[in-house]
Parts: sequence; structure tokens; C-alpha cells
Amino acid sequence: MDGLIAGAIYSLTASGMSLVYATNRFWHLAHGAVLLSAAYALYGLYSLLGLNFYLSSILTVITAMVLGLAMYIFLYRPLRRRRAGNLIMLIASAGVLLFFEGFAQILFGSDVKTLEFIEVQAGINVGGVLVTPLQLIIIACSVVLLLVFWIFIKLSPTGKKLRAVADNVELARLTGINTDRFQALSFVIASAIAGCAAILIALERNVEPRMGVNFALVSFTSSVVGGIGSMPGSILGSYLIGFAENVTLWVIPSGYKEAIPFVVLFLFLVFRQNGILGVEKGMRE
Amino acid sequence: MTAYLVQVFTLILIYIIVAASLNLAIGFTGLLSLGHVALFGIGAYTSAILTKDVGVPFMPAFFMAGLLSSLSRLFLTVVTQKLRGDYFAFVTLGFNFLVVALAQNWISLTRGSLGIPGIPRPVIFGLTIKSGGPFLLLTTVVTIGSLFFLYRLTRSRYGRLLEAVRDDSVGASALGKDVYRLKYQCFVVSAFFTGLAGSLFAHFIQFIDPTSFYLSDIIIVLTIVITGGLASLTGSILGGFIILAIPEILRFLPITPEAVGPLRQMIYSVILILILLFRPRGILGKVDID
Repeated sequence: MDGLIAGAIYSLTASGMSLVYATNRFWHLAHGAVLLSAAYALYGLYSLLGLNFYLSSILTVITAMVLGLAMYIFLYRPLRRRRAGNLIMLIASAGVLLFFEGFAQILFGSDVKTLEFIEVQAGINVGGVLVTPLQLIIIACSVVLLLVFWIFIKLSPTGKKLRAVADNVELARLTGINTDRFQALSFVIASAIAGCAAILIALERNVEPRMGVNFALVSFTSSVVGGIGSMPGSILGSYLIGFAENVTLWVIPSGYKEAIPFVVLFLFLVFRQNGILGVEKGMRE
Repeated sequence: MTAYLVQVFTLILIYIIVAASLNLAIGFTGLLSLGHVALFGIGAYTSAILTKDVGVPFMPAFFMAGLLSSLSRLFLTVVTQKLRGDYFAFVTLGFNFLVVALAQNWISLTRGSLGIPGIPRPVIFGLTIKSGGPFLLLTTVVTIGSLFFLYRLTRSRYGRLLEAVRDDSVGASALGKDVYRLKYQCFVVSAFFTGLAGSLFAHFIQFIDPTSFYLSDIIIVLTIVITGGLASLTGSILGGFIILAIPEILRFLPITPEAVGPLRQMIYSVILILILLFRPRGILGKVDID
């Protein structure tokens, strides 16, 4: 059950990271910074300022979107214009991630924050497993969000153009698509989903400075394990990692939990580089 | 004040060894290796455990630290031989997490998150190296020795060959050079010096725990290398002094001690991003990343 919850949350962050990778061809580690900032925004607005929860949530998602877009405009785009390679982009985004981690520690302290919006409720028995209503809400939210996202990508005209950019940027540009705008759009969409994920995480778990780095690494791993640039792949990868983290708890001490995604990543990169779904696209370094 | 300066100087020198050897690995193979802090940690733990728990004298423990670090790198290189670019970077980063997780959980060996306190002062030929001046002297000798070796290496025919491999690995292999072997030799040499630096660090601070080898430390070393410039040893030395000296200013400002760590992390990130944006080759760099 814990694996399912973890997978539901990871799939939200991983699909966003995967979308950014597909359209921009670099790993946006600072996606973790968006998530971190959104979670603290919610904590600040709701717990510290005492705003209405739903209003705070909407503001949180907007914060995430603005932040994601700002990163694209002020960092990634200038870097790309200077012909920076993938590794430079990766290092720069790691820099952003650590910047926000430090910032959150200074602003809110390094201790763990809890939202205390929903009181701990007794679990309900669903098919022999104890589930709290919140956990059901999380899974439902995650599934609905991803479904909407998927339909948007597959069916809407904008989604079609996004896929064209993801497929081949040069070709998309030649056919008259404003690729820059669509690359920016992918950041906005990914960040919006990350904002929603941040709300769910703040409700179910806690808010702490380390969460940005942890989620960034897990999201990367899930995307690679599932099959790079493929949305169903990254969702599949997320659940796999979620289960792997929790199932292994039976066998090895919980202290190793942070290292588990890497072991899975490691095995996949060594033995099956194209991931579960075997997507070839985007594997050229 | 002098004691404080000696402290800072010693730490800077230790970091310069790590940065210079990381620079050898990145600048001469073109692969972004993020596992160096783990190797540094392996060196530190090896030396600490050998001298404190096993009772081995300093010198053998010191070299064992380098050797074990090399061996770990060899293992990592063998399993990552097919990887390049982002994937190589992530797997080496993962190696880092794995080592930290081991240090935290292999309690019978490392005492977990309690860390290892009271690591003995180094004893060389019956002489105990005290903290302060004498330790700085030892560190300086090791640093100069390492840098000299690395310098000779990069200037030798072997160094030229490494440069050829980095710039055109297909061309080099067409000339009959074993590209893969050159790369792993480069990594292993680099790991050896990183391990030595780890040993110095353990005996200098006299206390180590897993948090000393975390992600933020990777960024420090990486910032030094990138600020100084890839494939430039002088750059790494210069970068080390600049990057490590700047946050020391914080000590003289009225900030709470808890804020110093995060603030330092923010300063490093900003420097790193600014360098990447405005001077991606660093101060003295010869090649671009990627």
C-alpha cells in the first residue's frame, strides 16, 4: 500500500521531468526545487498566514508555474543560446536545486514541518488493506491529473505541437512551430503538476528542505527506468520505484531507502538502457 | 587569528587535492564523474578505522586509503564502462548515495551516524604531527607531491594521449590506442589522490560522520573545478583558494551559526550558475564541458 502511495506521488513529478526532457533534451533537476518551493509556499500560506486551504493550494500551483517558467527564461534559455551542452544544463540545474534547498533552510529552518490540515483518521478496510481516506484521495488525484495530462498531450492541438517539438525540435521549427514557446510551455505544465504533487506530499508526508533533492533524483530514476521521454514509461517507472523502496524494507534496514532508487537505476542502465518500455528516442546522450 | 588561518589554509589544500584529481578525471576523459566525494569519504573512513580500531600506523593507513579509493573507482569504472553523458553523471552520483548509505548503516564498522570521534594524530617516523603548523606542513607536502605528479602526468606523452582520447576518442582508437584502458587508468589515478586527501581530512578534523560526504560537498568540489577551468591544474588551485575563501567572510558577519551552512551552499550555487552563464570555461579552462 505504501508503495502505491509513493508511486502515485512519484509519477506526478516524474512525468513532469520526463516532459521537460522530451522537449528540451536535458535533465531538469531543479524540478525538485519547484516542488520544494511549492510545498513551502503551501506551508507558508496555509499554516503561517492562515489562509483558506483551497485558496492556498491554488496560489501554490501558480507559484510553481511561475517559478518553472522563470527558470526557463532566466537560466536555461540563456544557457542554450550559448550552446551549452547537456552536462552544463545538468550542473546548472543542480546548482538551482541546492540554492533553493539552502534558501528554504534559512527561511524556514531545517526541521520537518507538518501541515495539520487533515487530522489523522482511522483507516478503512479495503480488500483486507488499511487505507486512510487521504491516501485514497492522493491516488485518485494522481490518476485523474495524469489522465487529463495524457489526454491533453494526445488529443489537443497544443499537445500535438508539443509532441512534434519533443520528436524533433529542428523539424518542428521548420514547420513553423514556435519551439521556444512550446519548450517554455512544457516547463509551465510540468511545474503545475509538481505544484499539485507538492500539495499531496505536504498532506501525506512532511515538508522539509531535503525533499527537493530526494524527489529530483527519484523522478530522474523513474523516467529512465520506465523509458526516457515516454509518459506511460515514467509512470510505470515511478510505481516500480515506489514498490521497490517499500518491498525492500522487509529484507534490508530502512536506512538504505535513499539508495534503493539508485540501485534500480544502476541495474537498468547496465542491463537495459532503454528502460521497461524500450524507448529508443532521446538515448543519443 | 593565526590558528584560524592555519586551519582554513589546511582545509583549502585538502580540497585542492580533491579538486585537482577530479579535474584530471573530468578534464581528461570528458566524463562528468560525481562520485569523488564518496571516494574522499572512503579514504577518510579507511584511514580512520585502520588507525583507530585496528591500530595500524599512519603511513600504511594513509596509503591504504588511496588504494581502497582506487579499487572502489576501478569497480565503478568497470560497471559504468558503457555509459556516457548524463547517465554516467547520474550513476556516479548514485554511487555517492550508496557509499553514504553504507557509512550510515554498517554500524559495526563505521558507527553509523554517530561518526568516528578521536581519530589519532598522524605519527611519522616516531614524530607526532600536531595540529596547526605541523599538520599544515604535512598537508602542504602531500598537496605539492600530488600536484607535481598530476602535472607531470598531464605533460607527459601519456597526458597528450589522454587529451587525444578526450578530443577524438574514435580517432585515437583508430590509431590503435586502447581508449577504455586509458580512461580507467585516469580514473584510478584520480581516485588514489582523492583517497589520500580523505585520509588527511580524517586526521585533520579527527572526527568523521556520513554527513561530511554529502551532495553539498560535491557541489563545492565541482564549483572549484569549473571556476578554475577544466583540464587546468593551476585553475583548480586558484579556484580552490577563491571558492573556499569567499564563504569565510560569513564568519565575520552577524549571522546565527545555523544559517552559515545553508548560506554557504547558496553562495556556491550562485557562483556556479554565474560561471556557467558568463564564463563556462572558467578562469583558466582549456576545454568546454560536454
